[in-house]
Amino acid sequence: MAVADVVGFLHKNPDYRKRVVHVETTEPERPRYGTLDTPLPEAITAYLDKNGIQLYSHQCAAINLIRAGHHVIITTPTASGKTLAFNIPVFGQLAADAPARALYLYPTKALANDQLVTLQQMAQFTGIPVKPAIYDGDTPQSKRGMIRKNSRIIISNPYELHHVLPWHAKWGDVLSELQFVVIDEAHRYRGVFGSHIALLIRRLVRLCRHYGSDPQFILSTATLANPLEFAYRLTGRQCELVDEDGSPHGRKHFVLFNPFFDGIGERSTHQETKDLLLSCIQGDLQTLCFTGSRKMAELVTVWAREDARRSSPRLATAITAYRAGYLPEERRMIERHLKTGELKGVVSTNALELGLDIGSLDAVIISGYPGTMVSARQQAGRAGRKGDTSLAILVAQADPLDQYFMHHPGQFFSRPHEHAIVDTANPYIVSGHMLCAAAELPLRDETDQPFFGQLYDSLRRELASGGLIRQTARGWVYAGRGRAADAVRLDGIAAETFRVMCNGRLLETMDRAQAFREAHKGAIMLHQGESYIVRDMDLETHTIRVAETDVDYYTQPLKEVNLAIIETLDTTTISSVKCAFGDVEVTEQYTGYTIKRRDTIIGLEPLSLPPLTFRTKAFWFVPPADAEEKCTSAGLDFAGGLHGAEHAIIALMPLHVMCDRWDIGGLSSPRFGDAGEPAVFVYDACEGGIGLAEKAFGLLFQLFTTSHELVRDCPCEKGCPSCIYSPKCGNDNQPLDKEATVLILGGLCTAPGQRESTGSPARPEKVAP
Amino acid sequence: MLHFHATQREFKPPVRDVILTMAAVQTPARIGALWQQRIEAMREYEVIRDGNIFRTSFSNSYVYSSEYDRARGQLERLVEQYQGMPFPAVFSGDEVTNEGGVCFSLRSSHRLTQTAVDVDRLRCEILADLTLVRGIGETTQRRLKARGYQTLLDLVKHPKFRLHAHRVIDCLSTGNSADIMDLIGCRHAKSHPFVLGAAGFHEPEDYVYLDIETLGLFSHPIILFGAGVIENGRLAVHQYLLRDIGEEQAALVATLGHLAGDRSALVTFNGTSFDLPYLRDRLAYYGMGTLRHIPHFDVLYFSRRRWRGRLPSLRLTALEQEIFGIRRRDDIPGQMVPEFYEAYLQTGNCGPLVPIIQHNRQDVISLALLFFRLLEESYGCS
Repeated sequence: MAVADVVGFLHKNPDYRKRVVHVETTEPERPRYGTLDTPLPEAITAYLDKNGIQLYSHQCAAINLIRAGHHVIITTPTASGKTLAFNIPVFGQLAADAPARALYLYPTKALANDQLVTLQQMAQFTGIPVKPAIYDGDTPQSKRGMIRKNSRIIISNPYELHHVLPWHAKWGDVLSELQFVVIDEAHRYRGVFGSHIALLIRRLVRLCRHYGSDPQFILSTATLANPLEFAYRLTGRQCELVDEDGSPHGRKHFVLFNPFFDGIGERSTHQETKDLLLSCIQGDLQTLCFTGSRKMAELVTVWAREDARRSSPRLATAITAYRAGYLPEERRMIERHLKTGELKGVVSTNALELGLDIGSLDAVIISGYPGTMVSARQQAGRAGRKGDTSLAILVAQADPLDQYFMHHPGQFFSRPHEHAIVDTANPYIVSGHMLCAAAELPLRDETDQPFFGQLYDSLRRELASGGLIRQTARGWVYAGRGRAADAVRLDGIAAETFRVMCNGRLLETMDRAQAFREAHKGAIMLHQGESYIVRDMDLETHTIRVAETDVDYYTQPLKEVNLAIIETLDTTTISSVKCAFGDVEVTEQYTGYTIKRRDTIIGLEPLSLPPLTFRTKAFWFVPPADAEEKCTSAGLDFAGGLHGAEHAIIALMPLHVMCDRWDIGGLSSPRFGDAGEPAVFVYDACEGGIGLAEKAFGLLFQLFTTSHELVRDCPCEKGCPSCIYSPKCGNDNQPLDKEATVLILGGLCTAPGQRESTGSPARPEKVAP
Repeated sequence: MLHFHATQREFKPPVRDVILTMAAVQTPARIGALWQQRIEAMREYEVIRDGNIFRTSFSNSYVYSSEYDRARGQLERLVEQYQGMPFPAVFSGDEVTNEGGVCFSLRSSHRLTQTAVDVDRLRCEILADLTLVRGIGETTQRRLKARGYQTLLDLVKHPKFRLHAHRVIDCLSTGNSADIMDLIGCRHAKSHPFVLGAAGFHEPEDYVYLDIETLGLFSHPIILFGAGVIENGRLAVHQYLLRDIGEEQAALVATLGHLAGDRSALVTFNGTSFDLPYLRDRLAYYGMGTLRHIPHFDVLYFSRRRWRGRLPSLRLTALEQEIFGIRRRDDIPGQMVPEFYEAYLQTGNCGPLVPIIQHNRQDVISLALLFFRLLEESYGCS
């Protein structure tokens, strides 16, 4: 038992022993099979028999629900056979109903291709005339007509759908018979992108209704805390949940490994990762290692090879890096060498959760928490071959979230925390899709308001006043000059975009806020792991010119944030502290930037950029009057405590609400506004808000409690990057006071809140004393 | 250890979103302006340097810079010239009322020398084309002709091709022009002279010369429909104009009315890729059903076959100038029609409509001229 040997070694080795903070062992589980309410068509039964498939309980549950006409969301883990669970009922229906059609949406080309192969095999064996085909930007014009005419399962992606909907006249046959919309990997559609997809789906349903169909939705996602709410927001439909996994598992050891167990960290996360990788390989485990960046993947590979060479040259050649952008032949070679056992270790970036068909390995090392539990679970899920024992190791970084898990392993292994957010009320996103919809069919107030929500009336007025839609007897007609679908980008908020150019080549585009933050003049900008220096930013032409560089310093912008409360929409009291949620107007003024080598400031440069002002949503709290007294009487810095609390809360937002800490902004002040009261604000950093602060407002007690634990349990003395230091702080982490932070946060989590408004209380399920 | 979180197993969709109903959600007032700015910045054509001979393929997506500058200047002059003039003072026409609503109609009449098609010659040529029979290619045709099968009529005696030959002859003798065109189009290129010749099976009154002006390349309103028909030996051009976007359906209904005849045939310039799909799209947009299948002669196809490589450009304006010596005065590039019409919509000033109407009318006239010229060159009675 090689895995057991390596786990034993981790426990025995004196260096490792201190760093292993937790080992969670999951016992093997036998398969649980299910029964179907009604038998499957003969062809499908034959297909299952031929492949030796007996349906697991969750597959049967999904099939029964889908065949009963329900919208369904399946959230069982990776490799539990979700695809089959929806392909079976779709094929069954297509066999029974000759004109019926299905649309499968995939977020990436690689996934679409994989699914095509599966569907083709199934179609070929069962003989059910499905003719699956991919319809996307690469589909030749000459084939498109035939696919629309003949293919009964059309695989596409949201980008393509966005541009296809205006051509609905050509899609009449499909739309009128559309019975299923399958959205696989649906958890990827969250945040701004997810909100666009939700509205895109509203547009699709609107056209389906016009052509007389009402498709059933089938979603497949990673495990989420709010699957039903998520499915409802994404599709506008109430779904049935299938989440009890019936597939078998081998024994799994999940190790939490903390290089910073002592609060210092002698060696970096990457050095430790390299050592662990070597230990696994020497223990004869085929190991997949995930790192945060491409550069790190390559460094870890080089280091591991060097070390391995000392003991065995053959071992050195058994380690390789893998990154996106490898040619298909290179990929196939890695896959082949893994199968033959020539390769023992593959180091890859976090981005590679998919695209490489290597099946499962003995061990997975995750170097740094990948940002979401969904990713962490998917990566760890790569370990474990059919019923064999497997190992997963999370190597922590000096980041608040990583360290929080190291100190609270129970939170890592408990039920899912993350709420995936889809906001169908961002006026910028909704208005864009209303324009697109008006170009597809005339907008009619009485029937279309439900698709676009409460904002419909005011946005319709706005669009009409600009002359972009015009009233006719049949409704509001799009009358803009360009194509509406071209003006709406699915991954952004309608805002000015800047082009980043390197030697006349377009590197990427970014919106104004990101450009000011990351690509101001003099900034060291990272793009796909490479460093660039910004030479010049032209505000008129929206062009940023950068050059490749290799410097040993980095830059950090300094900004002043001003905030005005426009309207308080909801209030609550948590631990007798007033908390509120509402509309705010944020003004961010970038004033300069610091140049840093390691953590030392080596320079300070001023910036003159216009202020950024935007409306968004925020939650905020007003610490009680005595909080300041308590701090000052204890000789602590109250302002530093508020600032620290703001940082800790923002750092732990991603634990509860699926987002990146860059998606959120904050402001703390001991004397806010006219009242001069202390206040801490946390706001959505995008124009119009995207539902993050709104969701967090319902989870404030949990958020405050975890933030308090984070800072309280951090072994550092005066605050560190693992607790209250923020890499994105616009005030260069000044002032900060750890003790005051603990005091303030502690006061926020003595008792859960009671929403004073009509809203339901955000009551936790279980609270231990 | 704290366990706050449980996977949500139940979810009730909000009857009305609690938070959103608490206060009327404020829509930032700049959203309309933001989209307007964004959409106006999207141009569906590019302005290119004069004499850029590399960009003279058939494409709608460029305008020469001299044309562009001239047109923009013209727009300013028109707005000034027609300031304060009400619509009826500028255009004399009639309001048309139908089940689609109301729109405005203009009518003009033009001299047109028509071509009589030598139908007999066409028939002989078609009958001599054995490749119209499925299974017969050039080689087989040569062999068959050598063995005495000169025409389709001879082929009726052939043991193998007898059946198919019968079908072709039946179609030629009893079928309508659409069937004949389909038959020929299946075996030959869509620009084959026989396809054009099929026009000879129609009366001149059957043709409808159609050209539309739109607000953009796709999924925008059609703002002007031009339909040319032969009335009393002259070409009458009926134009249906939208005084506002709301009149589009009425204009669609009025235009389709011209195509309602049993033997109607459509003539367009690039209609296969533009005018027809556009019409279908707008009909689908309003849920007004689909377009009936009628014979369609796309003059662009025949022009390409006839003049590609011989003339520098195959745009309609270039062809009319080369072949008929027509020089348009104060014309605007078709791609710039949207911005002229928008200027009218935004200001109510009728001036910008004047060149759009002239442009469309001339397009219809030139289309008819070109059609007859091509027909005459192929099958004219000399």
